Amino acid sequence: MKKEFKVSRSEYELLKKIARIGIEEADIEELARELGVNKSTLESLLRLLAEKGVIGIEETEEINYSLTNKGEEALSQGLPEEQLIDLILSGTSSLEEIRSKLGDIAGIAIGQALKKKYITIKDGKIVLQVDPDQAKKEINNLKIILEKIPEGIKEVPKDLLKRGLVKKTRIKKERVKILVPLDEVLDNVVVEVSALTRDLIRSGEWRQVALKKYDITALPPREYPARKHYLSEFIEMLRDILKEMGFKEVEGPIIELELFNFDLLFQPQDHPAREIHDTLWIKEGRVREVIPEELLDRVSRVHSSGWRYEWSAEIAKRLVLRSQTTSVSARILVSKPKPPLRVFTLGRVYRSDVVDATHLPEFHQLDGLDGDNAYTFRDLLGVLKEISERLGFEIKFKPGYFPFTEPSVEGYVRLPNGKWLELFGAGMMRPEVLEMAGIDYPVGAWGFGVERLAAAYYGLTDIRHLYTKDLRRIQLSKIKL
Amino acid sequence: MPVLKFKIDYLLKNIQYADLETIRDALFRLKCETEILEDGFLEVEINPDRPDMYSLEGLVRAVKGLLGAERGWSRPSTQNSSITVEVSNVETRPYIAAAVVYNVNIRDDEDLRQLIQFQEKLHDTIGRRRRKVAIGFHDLDKLPSRQLYYKALRIDEIEFQPLGIGYAKKASKILVETEQGQKYGYISLKGEFHPFLLSGSDVIAMPPVINSNITRIEVGTKHLFIDVTGTNKEVVEKVLDIIVSNLAERKGASIGQVHVLYNSAQITYPTLKTVETVLDLDYVNNILGYSLEPHRAIELLGYMRYNAYFMEGKRVRVEIPPFRADYISPIDLVEDIAIAIGYEKLQPSRPEKYTRGLLLYKNEIKRILRDLLVGMGFTEVMQLSLVSPDDVELVPRKPVFIKNPVQRDYSVLRTDLIISLLGVLRQNQLLKKPVKLFEIGRIAYLAENQEIVEKDMIALAVMDDEMSIEKIQSPLYTLLEILGIEYSISSECTEQIFIQGRCGSLMIGNQKLAEFGEVNPEILEKQNIEYPIAYANIDLEVLAKWSSKTLHRQ
Repeated sequence: MKKEFKVSRSEYELLKKIARIGIEEADIEELARELGVNKSTLESLLRLLAEKGVIGIEETEEINYSLTNKGEEALSQGLPEEQLIDLILSGTSSLEEIRSKLGDIAGIAIGQALKKKYITIKDGKIVLQVDPDQAKKEINNLKIILEKIPEGIKEVPKDLLKRGLVKKTRIKKERVKILVPLDEVLDNVVVEVSALTRDLIRSGEWRQVALKKYDITALPPREYPARKHYLSEFIEMLRDILKEMGFKEVEGPIIELELFNFDLLFQPQDHPAREIHDTLWIKEGRVREVIPEELLDRVSRVHSSGWRYEWSAEIAKRLVLRSQTTSVSARILVSKPKPPLRVFTLGRVYRSDVVDATHLPEFHQLDGLDGDNAYTFRDLLGVLKEISERLGFEIKFKPGYFPFTEPSVEGYVRLPNGKWLELFGAGMMRPEVLEMAGIDYPVGAWGFGVERLAAAYYGLTDIRHLYTKDLRRIQLSKIKL
Repeated sequence: MPVLKFKIDYLLKNIQYADLETIRDALFRLKCETEILEDGFLEVEINPDRPDMYSLEGLVRAVKGLLGAERGWSRPSTQNSSITVEVSNVETRPYIAAAVVYNVNIRDDEDLRQLIQFQEKLHDTIGRRRRKVAIGFHDLDKLPSRQLYYKALRIDEIEFQPLGIGYAKKASKILVETEQGQKYGYISLKGEFHPFLLSGSDVIAMPPVINSNITRIEVGTKHLFIDVTGTNKEVVEKVLDIIVSNLAERKGASIGQVHVLYNSAQITYPTLKTVETVLDLDYVNNILGYSLEPHRAIELLGYMRYNAYFMEGKRVRVEIPPFRADYISPIDLVEDIAIAIGYEKLQPSRPEKYTRGLLLYKNEIKRILRDLLVGMGFTEVMQLSLVSPDDVELVPRKPVFIKNPVQRDYSVLRTDLIISLLGVLRQNQLLKKPVKLFEIGRIAYLAENQEIVEKDMIALAVMDDEMSIEKIQSPLYTLLEILGIEYSISSECTEQIFIQGRCGSLMIGNQKLAEFGEVNPEILEKQNIEYPIAYANIDLEVLAKWSSKTLHRQ
């Protein structure tokens, strides 16, 4: 079996180019020039090919000599010691005079001449000690070397380097050697690509290439999807349940007359729930609504005879933030709908509670009315059972107390954690309520707070999380519905 | 809801044939939630409609009835106590009723605690925190005189030793210096005058504030003298009836009558008034969806401690005992019959009629909007509609303030959804941009003429490193296009919220449908937001009215 060479697309392209110019060995820099590609790109591709054993890379070091500025000067004007000898030959011998004539190079010239024993210094005078021709010949030999340097030279006397006339530099060179004949490689190459592209598909080249395998255990970056809020999803689910059960949705204002929030629900005007600690009144503002006198008369009559106190229309006309969506039910009853009556409302209610993990100053309530000519308390229990079952809960009933219902019942549902949650408040609307509204058939009423159930549903221990400001919490919330 | 404590030993001693679980179950059926406390007490939550169960005697009476051990109610034996109370015109608290209960015999601290608990819970509920009714318990044997006077006297002229204070004080000082005085002193005070109850010349009570130490009840007290004062005669009499009929349940106890003398009339207390009514069983059966025969109805009513008697046809005559404060009309008997049957035995039934369910049209539209906005990358948020006064300053609308808020942060209704969205965006500035969100919710404000306006709105916002109005225009216009809404564009927009020249409105006729633009950096700076934001709001009512879905339906 022939060896298969897996290469990337760019490695493959490179191999083809190298094969075209047909070399066995080359310097990488030269190769880059020849191929007309960027050197560092070429280098990294060659390294990848080297790992695959197709080529070898050999690193060598070259030494290069070059003239320094001083060296250039020595060539054109003569070496300093040479200039000194010429000066002496022209008859100058005073050390002082020579110093001033030679200037900057005087020190080097005298130093070198002394070192090479061309001169001695006596009583402030420089005296030649050797045959000037002999000295010049020696100097000339050095100049010949210097002249050769720009052309390239293998070795340079240490002295020239030391004197700073010649500079030595080391150059690293990389040479590439073809290890496996490229024809053979190209015949057995499999091109691997990391991403499928439009070009690959259009050219049909995807047939020749191999798609690189992923490390499938590596985690991708997380997605943060745009989402609907989990509380609103829960609320919509409740709406669907009621709609499916044949209830029609209704609504009412959140800023409400006490008449609808309390009086029509047979809550006496001196009831503790209507005191300052429990009711939120509006500072200023009015509503256009005109309450029919005849309705006020009925309310007054029923309250006075039922609770034995003097009922005040002024109190009933004060505005509050509704404390229960039963205010909407009261409005519906007053509109005297014909039986059968099956309505529900879902909206915000407001309470005098300090915010903590189990209390909010406002929350949603779901309230329903269910009535007909032969409607019974058992029918009401049936509705509560049906709603609970649709929510996936078991229900148990307990007698309860609400001012506007009799018989009254509380519905407890069993949560997944086994605990019973008091959910429904319900009952048959009292005859006094029906009389005030002018309804002549029995009506069942029920309601519950949405947030407490939603928190239990989503397993939240802090009810404030339902009104989170953290977008990530909404975007990554788990599906429970 | 009133929460009371009863010693479990005492409960078991009084209901000997039942164990604790049976008692708790019976209490559950009597609307009470119970919890066993570690110190040998049972905590019982009792609904405010049953003040007769606020004492051990009353609670036991109800449980025994429901368990079938005792039925109905019989009038306790009564004698004359020879005590009189002369009333002279107490303007702020005109009514007083009083009675004696012999052989109450306070045996120990628990007896005493339980009695005081009874008094306090009656004060808090039916007594409306002593405003409507206040109760005083006195040791009969300590009464200095059998001639009592109930009158308003000057607080700077009266001095007595109040309960719990070691020495005598002027009434004016008691009002100011004692905890009770501070809490209840204002209720019946008028000018310098306050009601007092005197025995001979000694003050024994300053209702509704405090009693005198003279007649203090304690362990060892045998007989009780009870006064009830208040502003409503019927309730005052009812409370006395409840107390007296409960205490008369104690072994060997009997009642002593007291004569209360008003200017023009004399009333003998306790009245122990019963109410008689005729209950039609068809009425009961129609409400409960049950079929009840007279003999069974009489039995069930008996368990609930009513005396009931046969009449001709499907009717029974019912005598409601004096301790029941919650009876208003026959419907209240229906509930007690249901309780006696047991709610768990009433089979829930299914409706026979078909009715068509329907959502508010507005909410159908909301669902469409949610889907579209999520599709365009906007995440839904839900925020409280109550905000702080600082928040509403962002918006040039007159807010609806709460008169008596609990917390400043939640004291006014939001006047625009931008308040909520900016609050969320401020906390999400570190997220990858753009940050896109929306909320659907109600706002409220006052119109020019002080009329309250409530509106359902949709608001969307985009926060990005660099802003262009198209970032909000394009989702907004796309939304409206899909909903099939035709509108005209106007360059008018709310100056305070938006940058002028970088905002606009969408109109349908002369109705404003939407407003959009880049949020004024002045607002951003105040809100500590460093990134530009574009914002749009849409009036949901207007949108729902003009969507192609609506027009198609018509």
